[in-house]
Amino acid sequence: MVKEELIARSPLRVFETSIHGGLGKGNLGVLTSRKGVGKTACLVHIATDKLLRDHHVIHVSFSQNVDHVLSWYEDIFEEISRIKHLEHARDVHDEIVRNRVIMNFSQKDVAIDQIISSLRAMIVDGGFKADAVMFDGYRLSDDNCEDLGRIRDFAQEMDLEVWFSVSALSEDVPYDEFGVSAPVKELCYYIDVLIGLTFVDDHVALTLVKDQGEEVQKHMSLKLDPKSLLIMREDEPLQT
Amino acid sequence: MSDIKNMRNIGISAHIDSGKTTLSERMLFYTKRIHAIHEVRGKDGVGATMDSMELERERGITIASAATNVNWKGYSVNIIDTPGHVDFTIEVERSLRVLDGAVLVLCSVGGVQSQSITVDRQMKRYKVPRIAFINKCDRVGANPYRVKDQLVQKLGHNAVLMQIPIGLEDKLEGVVDLVSMKAIYFDGPSGEELREEAIPAHLQDEAMAKREELLDAVSMFSDELMEAMLEDQVSEELIMDAVRAGTLSQELTPVFMGSAYKNKGIQPLMDGVIQYLPNPTQVQNIALDLDQDEKEIVLESDPSKPTVALAFKLEDGQYGQLTYIRIYQGTLKKGDELYNVRSRKRFKVGRLIKMHADSMEDISQAYCGDIAALFAVDCASGDTFTAGSMNLSMTSMYVPNPVISLAIKAKDKNAQGNMAKALNRFSKEDPTFRTYVDPESSQTIIQGMGELHLEVYVERMKREYRAEVEVGQPQVAYREAISRRADFNYTHKKQTGGSGQYARVAGYIEPLESDEENYVFENSIKGGVIPTEYIPSCDKGFQAALEKGTLIGFPIVGIKASINDGQYHPVDSSDMAFQTAAIGAFREAYRRADPVIMEPIMKVSVEGPTEFQGNVFATINQRRGMIVSALEEGAFCIVEAEVPLSEMFGYSTNLRSLTQGKAEFTMEFLKYGKVPQSISEELIRAYEQKRRDEAGK
Ligand SMILES: Nc1nc2c(ncn2[C@@H]2O[C@H](COP(=O)(O)OP(=O)(O)OP(=O)(O)O)[C@@H](O)[C@H]2O)c(=O)[nH]1
Ligand SMILES: [Mg+2]
Repeated sequence: MVKEELIARSPLRVFETSIHGGLGKGNLGVLTSRKGVGKTACLVHIATDKLLRDHHVIHVSFSQNVDHVLSWYEDIFEEISRIKHLEHARDVHDEIVRNRVIMNFSQKDVAIDQIISSLRAMIVDGGFKADAVMFDGYRLSDDNCEDLGRIRDFAQEMDLEVWFSVSALSEDVPYDEFGVSAPVKELCYYIDVLIGLTFVDDHVALTLVKDQGEEVQKHMSLKLDPKSLLIMREDEPLQT
Repeated sequence: MSDIKNMRNIGISAHIDSGKTTLSERMLFYTKRIHAIHEVRGKDGVGATMDSMELERERGITIASAATNVNWKGYSVNIIDTPGHVDFTIEVERSLRVLDGAVLVLCSVGGVQSQSITVDRQMKRYKVPRIAFINKCDRVGANPYRVKDQLVQKLGHNAVLMQIPIGLEDKLEGVVDLVSMKAIYFDGPSGEELREEAIPAHLQDEAMAKREELLDAVSMFSDELMEAMLEDQVSEELIMDAVRAGTLSQELTPVFMGSAYKNKGIQPLMDGVIQYLPNPTQVQNIALDLDQDEKEIVLESDPSKPTVALAFKLEDGQYGQLTYIRIYQGTLKKGDELYNVRSRKRFKVGRLIKMHADSMEDISQAYCGDIAALFAVDCASGDTFTAGSMNLSMTSMYVPNPVISLAIKAKDKNAQGNMAKALNRFSKEDPTFRTYVDPESSQTIIQGMGELHLEVYVERMKREYRAEVEVGQPQVAYREAISRRADFNYTHKKQTGGSGQYARVAGYIEPLESDEENYVFENSIKGGVIPTEYIPSCDKGFQAALEKGTLIGFPIVGIKASINDGQYHPVDSSDMAFQTAAIGAFREAYRRADPVIMEPIMKVSVEGPTEFQGNVFATINQRRGMIVSALEEGAFCIVEAEVPLSEMFGYSTNLRSLTQGKAEFTMEFLKYGKVPQSISEELIRAYEQKRRDEAGK
């Protein structure tokens, strides 16, 4: 299939519909779950879908090594193009990587102001017109509300949407049936869209816990395929 | 003859400025090859011994690799210090080609940097076992533990600490040896006196923990050690044997540390070289038998077998014309006759020499495993020499393609002759340096790996050959390529008096999928519509057409040309006619195949203080660059980007002024990428203008 068709038929259209046309600029969306359920995969798939639609994406990570992040993107793209038989995959790939920048912060306790100032430098000085910022592995701490406030202001100023994948600092906190931990729940007020990920049978289910400001508990008709690590429509067969 | 098992051939390779030459200087000093230490860019103005070239000393960088021989504890060690700058990457390639082991130097602050990755790739290419040395532990921000983790994460090494530091930064005192579990201090004005003591109390636990890690990692390589560990009977020998086994199999990287500049940790590193890096018999070397369809032949480190040697480096320096050779098999004596397999010429070995830093020693013979030099031999770098007339060729080394070119013109008649001599010599010495005369402009063009590379040769022409030249603007090596398939059906017909010329070829051209090959020819002619004898003529014609594209006159790459129909004339067809037809056919199809201009894209890595990050982003943005990633570690950041080479001229000046000289960058060739439309049009316009101008002359 060609790129346009791939975009039109993407399960992420279902995703967007369930959150009323997408997250929207100036808004904050959060993917959350226990460790190792597939937040990063979801985040990278959402980002890749944006890239395919010529959006510019900044991916913020907090690991030691940007190569890991790069290979996430490579793998997800590879899977999409393989499963959907994407034509001219190489050219599409080369085109979309131009719209992606990875910003990595190695220090665990880097201040939000520093992150924002670096993002600003990338957008303003680097001339990178970001449409979305994806924070992968954003750590929760005590002053998170304030941080989230800052990020929201920045998102509104720069007219971009912000996605986070969030896990709790420790695994010892209580989680609800949708994969949302108690500390994340406390932040719910500051978040526009909150999606919880949980293992159900042979796949990962996505539950919309907060939808554009409204607290709901809506099954998303989507799943994450544990093999390809792609988001799929619920009725699509899993990759074996 | 000294025992071959007591021989080591090692290279020192790393990111630019990580301290390779400074380290080599210490090695020369501690082995008493030199009697005083001179620093790179030192206040005494002498310059490091291994950086013997005037230009190297002035600039404080290594340009050419230098080979030297030292003796350490009864072992004869050939050391090759290589340059870190990518423009001279061929020096690293050829050194690694002939070495048995290597020391990968890393900066304790910078860690695994962009060039470390490149050098590591080169070491893997030649399957060279290596040990790592984390240098500059005296610097502010030194963190050898972090660097060791990066070896694991970024390079995928199974790296193990052989030592831990005693103090860091300005408190660096020495190292704890995790094998002997002793603290080692380096006393005396130049750290020449080793003092062993018990491990300081505050480091006891740390040392125990790291030793456990070491044992766990290396016990994989020795059942004996594994058993001894269970019985609590571990001996130093057992550990060292296991580390050696792991290192030789290239599955383990022992990590040493210290500060070359502060004279700390060098002697243990040299012990490590002896202990863990292979002797020549522990490395398999393969030659190709040209008489047997390039069959692989394993050479034997046996001095009584027929001689096989590789000329890996030519140097025209203070001692005259030297050819460095590595002997792989047999013995070489003064007066022996050798056979140059490439040129098929025989020559007599005149003087045979052993190089020592800044002096040389005449020797009467050299044995397999060793590195020596010959005087005034006419050959090119990479030639294989054999005894008798064995048609063996050592497997070749990887030679990257030049990406930049420069037009040069001699200032006067005298310089003209000298320039020709210099160019001839340089292209023999350095396979990444090329030169030709452009037939259209009759300008002499030199090509190389980067601005610095060519700058150095222009400077050397002036200093060593008294050839003053004027240089033009550097030009990047563009290429042309097609975007889609196009058919051709072309007839070449000419009737001039007597016999005419006739040939018709039909088929198609299309882009090649992989960039492994530049050109593929396919013959699908059926029923002899083009006689077999003229098929090679078509092939030749296409190749001729590829040499110069019609867009901007650069070579065309990535083409598959296929012929499936044609016609000939019993009298008027000829080799020439089919060649001409193929050229015409190609040009006809080329126009319709959406030809594009490709340019070299560089992988650029900029390192500097985070406060200047915005400025760095801006410089890349202004240069049509694409930022791939920005990595922040507190006050320090690394920006990785892909930028067209044509936009990188003058970058160092620009970067320096925007960052108060606090940021540094390195770049290396990454790939060819399509030139954007607007720039492509500009290039085509300029090319057409140039052709008009030349035609008008
Ligand atoms: N602080 C500190 N500086 C060092 C150390 N080793 C080398 N240097 C300095 O680092 C600079 C570069 O050293 P070189 O030895 O020329 O580095 P190199 O790796 O040979 O450089 P190239 O050959 O140009 O790639 C010099 O100014 C040295 O004095 C060290 O252990 N500590
Ligand atoms: Mg050097």
